[in-house]
Amino acid sequence: MLKGLLVDLVPYGKAFLENDHEWENGIARFWSNLGECPIVSRAQVEARHQEWFESNESYLGVPFGVQTKDGIPLGYFGINWMVPHCRSVMVGAVINDPDYWGGGYGTDALLLLMDYAFDWLDMRKVWLGTMSLNERVMRQMEKVGFTLEVRQREAVYAAGEWHDSLLYGLLRDEWPGRAALIERFGLQARPE
Amino acid sequence: MIEGHLVDLVPFEDDFAIHLAAWMNEEAWFRTMIYDRREPHTENDVKKYIEKMEKNKRGALFGYQTKNGDPIGGVIYDYQGDRVWKADVMSFAGDTRYEGTDEQFDGLLMLIRYCFETRNLYRLEGAALAFDTVKIEQFQRAGFTHEGTLRQHIRWGGDYVAVEMFGLLHREWPGYDSMIEALGLQSSAIEPKPKPEKLEKKD
Ligand SMILES: CC(C)(COP(=O)(O)OP(=O)(O)OC[C@H]1O[C@@H](n2cnc3c(N)ncnc32)[C@H](O)[C@@H]1OP(=O)(O)O)[C@@H](O)C(=O)NCCC(=O)NCCS
Repeated sequence: MLKGLLVDLVPYGKAFLENDHEWENGIARFWSNLGECPIVSRAQVEARHQEWFESNESYLGVPFGVQTKDGIPLGYFGINWMVPHCRSVMVGAVINDPDYWGGGYGTDALLLLMDYAFDWLDMRKVWLGTMSLNERVMRQMEKVGFTLEVRQREAVYAAGEWHDSLLYGLLRDEWPGRAALIERFGLQARPE
Repeated sequence: MIEGHLVDLVPFEDDFAIHLAAWMNEEAWFRTMIYDRREPHTENDVKKYIEKMEKNKRGALFGYQTKNGDPIGGVIYDYQGDRVWKADVMSFAGDTRYEGTDEQFDGLLMLIRYCFETRNLYRLEGAALAFDTVKIEQFQRAGFTHEGTLRQHIRWGGDYVAVEMFGLLHREWPGYDSMIEALGLQSSAIEPKPKPEKLEKKD
């Protein structure tokens, strides 16, 4: 378990899996799945869980659940794909309830995940993809110090229009460390 | 078979399958499969790879050969999206004598032709290691736009190497015939290599 100021990263266990049906049909997926609006049944979600439990694919992901300090499950933060010999991880993130967006939870979780990638897994690059419609993520990337490395033209279709896919990367020697960024952003635990 | 100007696209079988056992352990392969770990590929790995690509619903591996039937290497499209019709494209000259020739380039053009003119894809993506000038020039000559650089992205011979990323949209592709007309590809007149010995059949 990785303890932050506003959130903790915990195993993506029962408390999270139970929410997946509602979450997958929710608005957050539009943003995290690049314009997709999934309409999925409980059975489909369960089948996907089953596939995930049984999968022996060697993509080497590390999924975390993200929850508030008082234990409310918010969503997923994790390594979607690790390439050990290149020492790189591609990460993904979603906080499902829009009421929890813009309150610093995502930044706190991202710093924990990056800390984990650099300080525990000894990776040297963290990268991720988003779409040019997602200003929240673009602003967050800039703030945390990521470089926009690739802009893939019209690689995303969302809400009836083409958008660019953006690939962001941050190298280890550009990483000031979690503590330094917490201080820079003035991130603080919420009073009880 | 789809006939092109200098090369034809053919099923990846017979002589191609035999050659792949060597090709899959050579430089050209690793430069194409940029995330490959340079692990030794046995005959069994090669067989499994071909089978995997034959079952692949989001991509395919084709052979490409000269007009007189000399196998050059493979072209691949993969990771086709289901909602956004895009795919990654890759090509390699397993027979390294063809590296940088117009035959190899025509293999790429034929792959693009197949993806746009047969499969009606919307967008193609290509990746090349920063030092792979042959691949980079081929993407640019085929009309791809350089869309950015994944910095220090791939471990290669003791160093971290950048990956140059390219993209081509369907509407930017003038069509294979126009490309051939405009580019004036030249045959390199390389002597066909001897046919490989067939693997012993054990009954
Ligand atoms: C992306 C996500 C994880 C970010 O988490 P979050 O808790 O909302 O982010 P934070 O509150 O920590 O904000 C990070 C930065 O985003 C920017 N931001 C926040 N709300 C914003 C808004 N409404 N518009 C534009 N930028 C905004 C700000 O720059 C903010 O920094 P600040 O604290 O200095 O203002 C979360 O919003 C989310 O899950 N969204 C839906 C799914 C998604 O987009 N996933 C990512 C796909 S790549």
